Amino acid sequence: MSISKTEIEKLAKLAKLSFSDEELERFTAEFDEIIAFADTINQSIEGGTEEIRNVGARMVSFDDLRADEVMPSLPNEKILSNVEGYNGFFSVERSKK
Amino acid sequence: MEGSFLELTKLTALMAAEKIRKREISVIELTNAYLARIDELNGAIGAYITVCAEQALRQAESVQKKLDGRENILPLAGIPAGIKDNICTRDVKTTCASKMLDNFFPPYDAAVIEKLSESNVVILGKLNMDEFAMGSSNENSWYMPVKNPWDHERVPGGSSGGAAAAVASHMSCFALGSDTGGSIRQPASFCGVVGLKPTYGAVSRFGLIAFASSLDQIGPITRDVADCALVMNVIAGHDPLDSTSVDIEYPDYTTFLKNDVKGLKIGLPKEYFGSGLHEEVKAKILDAAKAYESYGAIIEEISLPFTEYAIPAYYIISSAEASSNLARYDGIKYGYRAKEYSDIIDLYKKTRSEGFGTEVKRRIMLGTYALSSGYYDAYYKKALKVRRLIFEDFQKAYQKVDVILGPTSPVTAFKIGEKTANPLEMYLSDVYTVSVNIAGLCAISLPCGFDSKGLPVGMQLIGKPFDEGTLIRAAYTYESNTGKSGVTNCGI
Repeated sequence: MSISKTEIEKLAKLAKLSFSDEELERFTAEFDEIIAFADTINQSIEGGTEEIRNVGARMVSFDDLRADEVMPSLPNEKILSNVEGYNGFFSVERSKK
Repeated sequence: MEGSFLELTKLTALMAAEKIRKREISVIELTNAYLARIDELNGAIGAYITVCAEQALRQAESVQKKLDGRENILPLAGIPAGIKDNICTRDVKTTCASKMLDNFFPPYDAAVIEKLSESNVVILGKLNMDEFAMGSSNENSWYMPVKNPWDHERVPGGSSGGAAAAVASHMSCFALGSDTGGSIRQPASFCGVVGLKPTYGAVSRFGLIAFASSLDQIGPITRDVADCALVMNVIAGHDPLDSTSVDIEYPDYTTFLKNDVKGLKIGLPKEYFGSGLHEEVKAKILDAAKAYESYGAIIEEISLPFTEYAIPAYYIISSAEASSNLARYDGIKYGYRAKEYSDIIDLYKKTRSEGFGTEVKRRIMLGTYALSSGYYDAYYKKALKVRRLIFEDFQKAYQKVDVILGPTSPVTAFKIGEKTANPLEMYLSDVYTVSVNIAGLCAISLPCGFDSKGLPVGMQLIGKPFDEGTLIRAAYTYESNTGKSGVTNCGI
């Protein structure tokens, strides 16, 4: 299956990424090859098998949930210490003018 | 002085711990020896992104004080270790080798770091890796590529390339890496050291920066099998902060350090010995199988028929999960933020496009594609079905055998730049490792000789879920009889 530059642009928009024209050209060619390879998975089986999302996953019933107790946690200032220019708000440029 | 430093860094964790216990060396001396070694070699190898020299020495002093006058000393007390840079360390920069997190200082320690600290392990610094653990050669680091200590023109493997290179070149006594599709085992194989990927759920992922949450697992990279067991004793165990952590009783892994495989059934999957496997690697693995036979193990050919679909399934599942996990990097809460932008969407786009490297963007795009409307059934759902088939392949195999033996990688360390132009070729080099993550099993890579270029060859033993003990026993038996690990004489 061949993938077009327009499709790549649409995916980039969904993924909140932007590419230069040159990057886009290169990416489209590479992507074509990768998707063709990913497509081989479609030769593996037809229909029926049940999916498995997570091999370690256990079914947890509501009875198994822990009590909702307050546990020690980090202070806000510590949690937000990596925010650029934080002064009580997440500051970004105006998006509506 | 330098000579004695070098001698100290040659010791395995077990040997160094013994000397610390007997007061033959101090934790400070040992830490200084490693810092000197890093100072000497890191410029050429690029294993560390961040070296915490002052902090390590402070920690060494405090550990030594704790040990003075005390009889009961924990097995890894005072041992200096390196940590892959996707494992959060409080107030120590944790970058994932990405421009995106170049200014990120975690406010908390990962569960494994807390455990190491409680065991009085000294942390030397943060180890280089492929950006967000995406890669098989460590060439995707935003900082610098890591060089293979055995041949500086070659890659150390990836994504825990810095971890394997640091352990092999004695810049760290042991290291913690992470393995999503082979990222502990393949670099361990390329650098001639031991790497264990624990069963999914055996080691807490709390504080491991997520790549593909249903596949990621933290594990040890060590000089030999005994050290691997010692580190597993510290890091394995249930953690309520990781909902996928499994609440069972974890054994003392050192009780499996036995030179005995009599009657152990070892399966050789025929799919792991077909085309694509380098002849020299194949010969070494078959030699290892013969060696096991001579130690009393029973070798049997088995089949894992869905192996050929493991790589496409892996790249679909891992990229889908990555595209979702990495959506959090938007420039608002932490991490890199673009300097100029016109509105909030433009801020997201510019931040992500400038902050992520090419391979990370490629995986996000592939994941977005696999999850997007119209393709979800054909790719993502299909990959989850294949995941079950691969899981069942192993279940059937384990009705016949106790462990599975094969190569870790189809080739030995390749040249820097050799595969960068072709991402697909790079993906294919993970052929023997990804199935283990897909099926949530445990596996160990250990050295089994050298190819004609003098590069280490690694063999892989794959175990049943939570049967790390049998892997350790089988690996220890091979190592004890051949002396092929624990010696990392990489010419430096």
